[in-house]
Amino acid sequence: MGPYIIRRLLYMVVVLLFVTAITFLIFFVLPTADPAALRAGRSPTPETLAAIREQLGLDKPLPVQFWLYLKALVLHFDFGNSFVNNVDVRSLIFDRLPNTLFLIVGAAILWFIGGVTIGTISAVKRGTVLDRAAMGTALVAISAPVYWFGLVSLYLFASDIGRFPVFPGSGAYQDAHGFFAKIPTLILPWIVLAAAFAAVYARLTRSNLLEVMSEDYVRTARAKGLTERRVVVRHGLRAAITPVVTVLGLDLGILVGGAILTESVFGIPGIGRLSFDAIQRGDLVTVQGCTLFLAFAVVFMNLVVDILYAFLDPRVRY
Amino acid sequence: MTRSTLRLLLASVVAALALVVAACGGSDSSGSSSSSSSGGGASSETGQPKTGGTLRQLGSSDVDYIDPGHTYFTTGYVLAYAIGRPLYGFKPDTADPVPDVAADKPQISDDLKTVTVKIKPGIKFGPPVNRAVTSKDIKYAFERFFSVNVGGQYATYFSSIQGAPKSPTKGVKSISGITTPDDQTIVFKLSRPEAVVVSAALVMPITMPVPEEYAKKFDAKNPSTYNTHVVATGAYMIKNDAQGNLTGYKPGKSIDLVRNPNWDKSTDFKPAYLDAISWTTNEADASISAQQVLTGSHMTLEGNPPAAQLKDAVLNRKGQWQQVPAGGFRYFPMNTTIKPLDNINVRKAIIAGFDRDAALKARGGKFTGDIPTHFLPPGIPGFEEAGGAAGPGYDFLKNPRGDMNLATQYMKKAGFPSGKYTGNANLLLVTANADPNKAQGEVAKAQIEKLGFKVTLRTVPQDAVYTEWCQVPKKQVAICGASGWFKDFTDPQSMLDPTFKGANIAKNGGNNNLAQLDDPKIDAAMDKAAGLQGDERNKAWAEIDKMITADAPAVPFDWDKSTNIWSKDVIGVANRYQTEMDFNFTGLK
Repeated sequence: MGPYIIRRLLYMVVVLLFVTAITFLIFFVLPTADPAALRAGRSPTPETLAAIREQLGLDKPLPVQFWLYLKALVLHFDFGNSFVNNVDVRSLIFDRLPNTLFLIVGAAILWFIGGVTIGTISAVKRGTVLDRAAMGTALVAISAPVYWFGLVSLYLFASDIGRFPVFPGSGAYQDAHGFFAKIPTLILPWIVLAAAFAAVYARLTRSNLLEVMSEDYVRTARAKGLTERRVVVRHGLRAAITPVVTVLGLDLGILVGGAILTESVFGIPGIGRLSFDAIQRGDLVTVQGCTLFLAFAVVFMNLVVDILYAFLDPRVRY
Repeated sequence: MTRSTLRLLLASVVAALALVVAACGGSDSSGSSSSSSSGGGASSETGQPKTGGTLRQLGSSDVDYIDPGHTYFTTGYVLAYAIGRPLYGFKPDTADPVPDVAADKPQISDDLKTVTVKIKPGIKFGPPVNRAVTSKDIKYAFERFFSVNVGGQYATYFSSIQGAPKSPTKGVKSISGITTPDDQTIVFKLSRPEAVVVSAALVMPITMPVPEEYAKKFDAKNPSTYNTHVVATGAYMIKNDAQGNLTGYKPGKSIDLVRNPNWDKSTDFKPAYLDAISWTTNEADASISAQQVLTGSHMTLEGNPPAAQLKDAVLNRKGQWQQVPAGGFRYFPMNTTIKPLDNINVRKAIIAGFDRDAALKARGGKFTGDIPTHFLPPGIPGFEEAGGAAGPGYDFLKNPRGDMNLATQYMKKAGFPSGKYTGNANLLLVTANADPNKAQGEVAKAQIEKLGFKVTLRTVPQDAVYTEWCQVPKKQVAICGASGWFKDFTDPQSMLDPTFKGANIAKNGGNNNLAQLDDPKIDAAMDKAAGLQGDERNKAWAEIDKMITADAPAVPFDWDKSTNIWSKDVIGVANRYQTEMDFNFTGLK
């Protein structure tokens, strides 16, 4: 296991370097407009543009710019300063990270437990009304765009503008102070974010479990006289859940990079909202920082998932 | 390749693709705009607000900068004018500036090369500076503006000040043309006779006092960190600590304003009813925020509400909205150097046949603006003299939905007997790749093609429309599909001189005369009008506006209006200068 983790960590560094180079090239070689011109205001003179390029370091040769960027990134975990408002991108990201984590961890618990439970029941009750109803609902949940679902839930259930004012509405998260005060404000966002994921996980669990339950070792377990519940949970689900955990790892990694739509609809100041604002304002340094952070999260979660395999699936050995 | 490696590569490609999408996106902000959106109308409730209370402003985007030397966008101005006091400011119901830090109107010398301003005594900086403002604080505000560390964005208006740097300076340098004979007097010596325009521009945030002894350590950094240490002179201040750190500013999240304890009402024309303003800058979906404001309590909305809430407010919520002219025009400039657009009758034909109502609908319709009859917009001096809303009466601008019969007649005059274009020219129309600019560009293409022209529509990210295409003459853009020009201050010269003066055509890029109109008569009239003042000035620029309109260099389709909404227990007041809510006059019932 040890050498494997070291090997994977080295891979991780290579991939992150690769992503950094690509994002840098996209930003500095293929920009849609001159960042200096965007920052220079009305009717800038060529001298003004030159001075701004110098200030931003855009006058240096590309390899030098990349080296400086990389150096700051590796040595100081410094993503640079926003070209739009001069704010340190690292502080922006880390300031928002707890909010994103709070949102996605809660939603992940909901969707994982909900999805796996529904998928398992569906598989066990295959072909019944319960199975069809669960899978039909899952199809609807998958098809409903998060943004639309979020808006509808606010118009229906938000305490300020909702028809049935039950839950705190958009913006309530930011107004609430303290861990416990924030929990009620996240109920609607958790449900909205979890819905589509839970549906996917239910379908995935169902199909995996059906496949596993037809395996020889499951037949053997039944032949040994184990209870059906024990067969399903100990022998079937444990194997069927491995691919689900893989997807969970990837999903969490991507969502750490920002649940853009959910954060936007509910006014949660997370990394997704930061990326959304940065894209709207053409603030590519911030977008670049968020992208690198996303890459890091995805690669890291991949590693975590691969390590988890060894514990979940007895057939996997490193 | 192993499964893990494949996933790692996939992850990297996903991340890279995300950036491509981001890089291809862009801001929808107008590249030449300092104000947001125009006309006017109101259902604002009059009455005396109570003193005190906290207002909550819901906004979906952060200010650009807090630093008065750096801010140049509407949201930044809303904040700047709440916490800072310029030399001259605006009352909500008038477009004419009134003295704020200044004690009286600027004194302009006969040769138009000297502007002298006296400032009021008794104005104090907020904590932690806590001392009286002097003219030296305004001189320093100007000098730091030109520093590359600060990044002032409209140096062009003050380039005539003697000794004003031609390019951004490293560090803050003294400007010889600004002198302070005493603590209550500041004098601007100009190298060109531009005192009228410079005086008009003394409403801009550059004139807000900055205490040198406090700010210089921040300004020494690159970029200046004064942005997060701004000290107030206005009725409100951003919460700060003893060192001046703005603890009430959370970038991309919120801005908390409280009263400036050192603000003295007797020195100001602004009532400042509120105790505090809690401004969120990351609100979610605009329709949700607008709904919260209209149905909620003690709230205002930053920016225009979406169409549904705008309609709801205008039709059903008396006293909860106000429209103010944005002081700008949106237009489709036609490059007068490109054939066949070099033919004035072709241009008149295009304007005559153009359904400008369709273009306005692409931006949101009648609630968002009015269809122009000339260029000088409502709210700018000279508008009424130029014909007001009815305009100068040119036939090709008479029918906002287009008149194909008239268009055909002009095409015949242009040498096309069939009334349709029969040449081979292919006109390049560049617009943004996101709505509403994309939609209006598509309308323009369809309208121009009605007369037989071949039009190639190119959509590019908004941030590239100006800097990479429309402002670069060598790109040979025939029609710019996403252009607008909005006031920086209320003066007709600032609206027409940069946009239609032949002498201002910048061949190497950064060109704001997008139509490249080069009419010596117009240039001469502008030179003459530049030195005039008062009514004479307004009349002269109104005549110039008529001359430009007669030359048909562009299809004007929108005099923008900005709509502000608020909760029913708020007495909202919009400011006609920055076109958004004015915290200094808004209060609670």
